[in-house]
Amino acid sequence: MSDIHIDSAVLAALQDVMEDEYPVLLDTFLVDSEERLLLLRQAQQEADAQNLRLAAHSFKGSCSNMGANMLAGLCKQLEEVGQREQLDLAAELIEQVEREFAIVRILFKSERQRYRH
Amino acid sequence: MAITSLPSLDGQELTILIQGRFDFGAHQDFRNAYESVSSTPQRYIVDLKDTTYLDSSALGMLLLLRDYAGGDDSMIRLVNCSSDVRKILAISNFEQLFNIA
Amino acid sequence: MIERLSILIVEDNAADRMLLSAIVSRQGHRALTASNGLEAVALFDRERPHLVLMDALMPVMDGFEAARRIKQAAGEALVPIIFLTSLTEGEALVRCLEAGGDDFLAKPYNRVILEAKINAMDRLRRLQETVLQQRDLIGQHNEYLLNEQRVAKAVFDKVAHSGCLDAPNIRYVQSPFAVFNGDLLLAAYKPSGGMHVLLGDFTGHGLPAAIGAMPLAEVFYGMTAKGYSLTDVLREVNAKLRHILPRGVFCCATLLNVSFQRQAVEVWNGGLPNGYLLRVNGERVPLVSRHLPLGVLEPAAFNDACEVYPVSLGDRVFLFSDGVLEAGNKQAQLFGEQRLLSVFADNQKPQALFDEIQQALLQFSGDQQDDVSLLEVSLVEDGQVKRPPLTFSDNGHNHLLDWSATFEFRGETLRYFNPLPFLLHLLLEVQGLRPQGAALFTVLAELYSNALEHGVLGLESSLKANAEGFADYYRQRSDRLAHLTDGFVRFHLRLLPEGGGGRLRLRVEDSGAGFDPQLLLPQPDDALRLSGRGLALVRQLSERCQWGDGEPGVCVEFSWKAGA
Repeated sequence: MSDIHIDSAVLAALQDVMEDEYPVLLDTFLVDSEERLLLLRQAQQEADAQNLRLAAHSFKGSCSNMGANMLAGLCKQLEEVGQREQLDLAAELIEQVEREFAIVRILFKSERQRYRH
Repeated sequence: MAITSLPSLDGQELTILIQGRFDFGAHQDFRNAYESVSSTPQRYIVDLKDTTYLDSSALGMLLLLRDYAGGDDSMIRLVNCSSDVRKILAISNFEQLFNIA
Repeated sequence: MIERLSILIVEDNAADRMLLSAIVSRQGHRALTASNGLEAVALFDRERPHLVLMDALMPVMDGFEAARRIKQAAGEALVPIIFLTSLTEGEALVRCLEAGGDDFLAKPYNRVILEAKINAMDRLRRLQETVLQQRDLIGQHNEYLLNEQRVAKAVFDKVAHSGCLDAPNIRYVQSPFAVFNGDLLLAAYKPSGGMHVLLGDFTGHGLPAAIGAMPLAEVFYGMTAKGYSLTDVLREVNAKLRHILPRGVFCCATLLNVSFQRQAVEVWNGGLPNGYLLRVNGERVPLVSRHLPLGVLEPAAFNDACEVYPVSLGDRVFLFSDGVLEAGNKQAQLFGEQRLLSVFADNQKPQALFDEIQQALLQFSGDQQDDVSLLEVSLVEDGQVKRPPLTFSDNGHNHLLDWSATFEFRGETLRYFNPLPFLLHLLLEVQGLRPQGAALFTVLAELYSNALEHGVLGLESSLKANAEGFADYYRQRSDRLAHLTDGFVRFHLRLLPEGGGGRLRLRVEDSGAGFDPQLLLPQPDDALRLSGRGLALVRQLSERCQWGDGEPGVCVEFSWKAGA
């Protein structure tokens, strides 16, 4: 697994804490993240800087908890864009977030497969 | 308020120095001053030189010391009494129980 | 090992909620979860968790509002709220604090930090719980204490106010809760007329200061009502207080024996500031403390010597507790004796002096002081002061009608023993005599003091003509009494049934030379050696009064009708 995308040490810790519920946590994160992405896009389309900022902040928090460091970093930039109301920069950043999430999603799916054995 | 006890070199005499107000707040310190000395003094001196105030609780404490020191056989001198202190002792007629100087 | 806590986790992000819940559970706590502020408030009301982990930004109701509501619902109990937010947003942190947040936890969550924070918050929570418990306990104790004081005061008031402080010749000022300052004011009519008055000041404050007041009042009233003299009362009070009070607690007191009929005031002052006798002619006599306070000396060492002052109508006695002299003002000065004496000096009308002293005190200290007790007793005509009926413990018998007895009290017995209460007690077993008890006692007292002072001790009544002689008279009386070895006073009591009622014949004789009837007859007043007043009183109060009819001494009679 690529540590640039997912911090394996964090995953090990999560597994330790969650025990049997570890795969459920991974699933939950992925489902939840889809919703966050929807919220981000919606805020950008509505040019609602405040909502963009809040959605990015919230997403950033859960990404950091899950060890998705690069994704968390992108969310942080997006949060700052929202804060500074630089909505013209938002579309590009959201695309980056989506691309990164696609990678994270694959990595988590495989982690989930790996854990099953 | 501060209470200091000074045993004489031969341990025969104990001087208890009372600074500030001599009232109920001094109760425990005053008792400690004579109860927690290692020697067994024959004579006690209560030095009231720096005593600014003395109330009836203080008179009660002096009676406790007198009992502790042997009651009617006790030898206790109250020294360096200011005129105010002396007046309070006089109203209570404590000169009948203590040697007041 | 800390106790298991229930911890409310409020987080809209499902993965984060799940993660926190797992961490908290692994640490041994019970996790409750809510996904927004509204749910959290409802769950808090239902479950009363010990601690809350609260996300700030949530849909429906955010963490700030939820925190405010939870803090409000928690009341005085500390329910720590840890906000789940990163520490970088200054403005948000301020909002967390304003909403009642106690700490912050940044994402990503660190198990060790979370555990440390939970433990720290739990310590704080329990500290607060202890403080509240102790506060409640103290409040409860205080409530108990106040209640105890109320009960104690109610009982004490019954005892203390059974006397005659309301007599027309007495004025006094005393705080209603004075007894908890150790101040005590008692006054009682003597069965022979006149009154005993006491102003006392116990050492200390609160219940310890009040506790001695009860037995003192009991002794004072009980003995005075039974006809005991002031010195008897003093000795008993001192012995009782010495016996029951811890060493170091005592009662500074002034006692007065006011005799309207004899026009004399007996004073004993042990430890109180000077009282004053203010005569009608303006002369001011200090009533000085000559004794150790009550309850200090062993009974054997106790000195009951009183000073006796002749007084006349309109003379006033003022007594003060040391609260008067020690009344303070805002500059921490004390009222002091000089100020008090200047009020005396400035006084024009003696009847206004009492008010003037009060005013001066009020002016000086600015408000009413709790431990100020002030008393004025004035000398009035004997008849102006009522004599309440004596009280009896009735044994229900009414058959003591036909008997006679003679008592002879000799030499040393006369030095120490006052036979009057004993005789009165005996005579009042006769129910028919009770309505006349006060008169009977007065006559008995007059005849006895006449027999003792003039007959046995050989004192000359003419000495009392002036103030100097008066003092001399009482000095000689106590000297001669102290060295008395022989002589006697005899009481002959004879009860006779008479037409359904009865009659008491009482004869008093003594060992003195003068009761020879041959010498008596020509000049009966002198021969009787009663002061004019005493004789007048005996004649006035008894049904018959005679001397020299073949029997020695003076004979008086009292009778009563059937059903009396």
